[in-house]
Amino acid sequence: MKQKADVQQGTLALMVLKTLDVLGPLHGYGIARRIGQISGDLLSVNQGTLYPLLLKLEQEGSIASEWGASENNRRARFYRLTPAGRRQLQAEARDWNQTAAIIERFFAARAEDFL
Amino acid sequence: MRSLRRLLSRVFGFVARRQSEERMREEIEEHVALQTAENLRAGMTAAEARRQAILKFGAVEAMKESYRAGRGMPFIETVLQDLRYSVRTISRSPGFAAVAILTLALGIGANTAIFSVIDAVMLRPLPVRDPQQLMVLRWTARKELNFNGSSYGDCDNSRESGCVFSVPFSRTVRTQANAFSGLAVFSGPLDINFRDNGPAVIARGEYVSGDFFSTLGLKTILGRPLGPADDQPAVPPAIVLTYAFWQRAFGGDPSAVGRGVRLDNVEAVIVGIAGPGFSNITPGKTQDFFMCLSLVDRVRSEWWADGSRINDPSVFWAVIVGRLAPGVSIARAQASVSALFRSEVVHLSLLTDADGPGVLVKPVREGLDGESRGYAPMLDLLMGAVGFVLLIACANVAGLILARSAGRQKELAVRQAIGAGRGRIARQLLTESLVVSLAGGTLGVFVAIWGVKALVALLQSHVSDPFLFPVAPDWRVLGFTAVVTVATGILSGMAPTFRSARSDLTPSLRENASSAPGGAVQSRWRFRLGDALVVAQVALSMVMLIGAGLLVRTLGNLRHLNPGFDTRNILLFGVNPTIAGYTDPGTVHLYRDLQRRFAALPGVIAVSYSEDALLSRSTSGTHVHLDGAPPKSNVGTDYLAVGADFFSTMRIRLLAGRAFTSADFAQADATNAAVSAANKEAKAHADAGKASPAPRAEVAQSVLPALAPVPVIINQTFAKRYLAGKDPVGLHMGSPRNDKPATGPRPGYLIVGVSEDTKYGSLRSEINPTMYEPLTGNSAHFEVRTTVDPATLIAVVRKIVAEADGNLPLTDIRTQSQQIDDTLFQERLLSRLSSFFAVLALALACIGLYGLLSYEVARRTRELGIRMALGANRRDVMRLVLRQGLILALTGVGIGIGAAVGITRLMASMLYEVRPGDPATFAIVCLLLMVVAAVACLVPARRATRVEPMEALRTE
Repeated sequence: MKQKADVQQGTLALMVLKTLDVLGPLHGYGIARRIGQISGDLLSVNQGTLYPLLLKLEQEGSIASEWGASENNRRARFYRLTPAGRRQLQAEARDWNQTAAIIERFFAARAEDFL
Repeated sequence: MRSLRRLLSRVFGFVARRQSEERMREEIEEHVALQTAENLRAGMTAAEARRQAILKFGAVEAMKESYRAGRGMPFIETVLQDLRYSVRTISRSPGFAAVAILTLALGIGANTAIFSVIDAVMLRPLPVRDPQQLMVLRWTARKELNFNGSSYGDCDNSRESGCVFSVPFSRTVRTQANAFSGLAVFSGPLDINFRDNGPAVIARGEYVSGDFFSTLGLKTILGRPLGPADDQPAVPPAIVLTYAFWQRAFGGDPSAVGRGVRLDNVEAVIVGIAGPGFSNITPGKTQDFFMCLSLVDRVRSEWWADGSRINDPSVFWAVIVGRLAPGVSIARAQASVSALFRSEVVHLSLLTDADGPGVLVKPVREGLDGESRGYAPMLDLLMGAVGFVLLIACANVAGLILARSAGRQKELAVRQAIGAGRGRIARQLLTESLVVSLAGGTLGVFVAIWGVKALVALLQSHVSDPFLFPVAPDWRVLGFTAVVTVATGILSGMAPTFRSARSDLTPSLRENASSAPGGAVQSRWRFRLGDALVVAQVALSMVMLIGAGLLVRTLGNLRHLNPGFDTRNILLFGVNPTIAGYTDPGTVHLYRDLQRRFAALPGVIAVSYSEDALLSRSTSGTHVHLDGAPPKSNVGTDYLAVGADFFSTMRIRLLAGRAFTSADFAQADATNAAVSAANKEAKAHADAGKASPAPRAEVAQSVLPALAPVPVIINQTFAKRYLAGKDPVGLHMGSPRNDKPATGPRPGYLIVGVSEDTKYGSLRSEINPTMYEPLTGNSAHFEVRTTVDPATLIAVVRKIVAEADGNLPLTDIRTQSQQIDDTLFQERLLSRLSSFFAVLALALACIGLYGLLSYEVARRTRELGIRMALGANRRDVMRLVLRQGLILALTGVGIGIGAAVGITRLMASMLYEVRPGDPATFAIVCLLLMVVAAVACLVPARRATRVEPMEALRTE
């Protein structure tokens, strides 16, 4: 059985920001569902952990929230990316790509490359 | 930036925590509802769909907790919770709360009050620009410097060190030292006959050089400050009024600027009014106006000014302050000024290089201590005393909390059992003691306000030396109170907290824990701690009682001291004809006239006058050369110029020879007149020829042989110390003229009598060799001996003086006993305050002892009941309780004696004719303490005897 990844807080934050960037304003459930779909159910358990993270991102000003109507016409909190959040996303995506590229090159290296 | 933003929203979240709780609940509900809807669409049953949704969401409570932790400020929330709980528990036992809060309020209030005064006297920053750059010079030497001069108490001056210099030296420093960006001199203040349009008033004027205002960075609010141009003698002399004097004497009238006034009959112009913030850079000194230095040689109100105070480099009388130039270190300034000083004094042959003359450059704050020097030891002692009171109060409150927390064992155990950590419980207890100390501190502020008022009133009751420091709370006082309050809370909460965090609380959960064996076992540690606190209180109050006892005995010794003359029924007052324009012969004539008029009054037995009143803390000293001694071996002696009938008026017995006769006075007058004439001639010569002092001495010398020596009367100590084995009457002594070319010549002295010893400057001072000579001029203090209450004569004395000369102000009217009381002011204040604090300490310690024993008796009710049921009688029970209390008190007394032996040694300099380890004081205090402690123990002990055995057993 495939282990569910122990997702780090920073990684999850990046996923939330990217989700909101791509899909626009979403409520908590929507974000959780989208992340679950894209990551292949890696995050299907403990959706609740998303909420403290949303609070933190909101406190830091990366996202903002307001009340809106959900699919079943009830009050739900909708989150959207702020300009600051967009800048943060770009910066972190760049970092992430850099790190990934370095790690990839590292894995691709063979013994003779080090001689 | 992001974390700051997060902090702000946390603060907001903390404030708006109710709304956000609501929002969280709603979000979770909606999340689960959406998931349930999706599960339903996937074909689950309604119940299963909801169950899966909740499972998928995860642990709701854990998530809520972490959400809450991220939202608000959990630490503060628990603190608030503790606070609420503390206030509730404390208010549930109002008796405990009242005692604890009052105790701390007294302790904190007393400390704040004393600290406020210390702050005003010693810590207040100088009201000048950048005070840390402002330096004052202080000269030092290994040998006496025989300068001619005077100082006004800006700092501690002796013959080997001082902060007064000559004005020419300040000019040298200004032009050659290259270390200061500004340099100024000042001197004074002195009493000046100040005359506007109305009658003359005595005002205090301070001489300042022209750059005084610019160096200190002082501003005027009207007109202009004094400037360097004012130092030129040609300019009409300018003065600047202080704001307070302008308000007082001119009613704040702006037209005062530009007005002409007369200072000792010299014309001067008011050019400005100084800003209200500044009085003087020397703590505790004030003056009414600043006058330019060029007035010095014209306004003469002091006897010592025989040379030119502006141009004579051997007249030391002015304080030099300088502002360090940017980038110049104190060490560099000191080196360059020292070199200048050395060459100056060596050039003047005041000292040689071998005497190590030098100059220290010190920040003004350290260098000029002024009046604060007199108050510092007293205030330090009082601060120590109130510190002890606070420690006792802390121990007292700690004991109370301890006893109370023993009764709360069950509550604490329950809290621990349902999951409170030890740290959490400790924090709760500490919060409680902090709440008590905060309440105590708040109340203490009111105690302090009252205390400061009382203390300042006491200090200002000192007539001759009024307390001039403005005492007002500032941030240092507030900070001090805050720190003391919190420290008190922590200190008094520490012991109980420490104990409860360590002890095993489980036995307390059992039924009747307080009397169960388990309770007794774990209580052993508690009572050792409680005992230690009571012992500490007794020991501390013992130390304070002994300190106070020594001070009280010092005062008693001084009061009962025989000063060598009859102090009863004497009226004293001063007159200063010099500032009203009199010359020496006129003065003498006036004095004799006044003496005759006073003597004719009904109720007056005898009248005399002297340059200083006895026991008024001012003395004069000089040197004489004993006939037959090698040249330059002079001996020091105090001296006092007196009028006719001085010895009979003061009732000082003459042991040999005779009192001064009118022939003696005529003789002294003639000599005085001849000497001043010679000096004047010498000065005229010197000024005309700009020659060295040598010809001046020559001129004077030529007049000398014609003069008869001045008749003098010496005291017993003088005869014993310097003329042992000889009959002093008829002996001649020379003045030390060969050593001091700068001083005018004098024809020497002839001893005509020997008097009994009397105290001169103050009761405390040793009796020095003293020489009395006939008074020939200068200011004087009259002594009027009466048969009636001397105070009833004041009005008629004023009338007589006004009749003699309307311009002659009377000063310092008081009786001799008031004068003595006044010199004992500090001793009286100290003995009164230290006794007050010692009694307070004793009372607190007794409350501690009483509280501990009462608690003991309450806790042991069942045990006592059983003892009595088994046959112990009331006396046995009483003895049981009394013994415990007295053992504690005795232990405290023992430790207190040991501590007192060490601590009272520090106050040796304040004592008079009583040693720090005085056995009588120790014995009396021990006795007092044991008696009071016994009374404190008696109340709970009697309560123990009233235990009804059946009642006690039934309480189970």
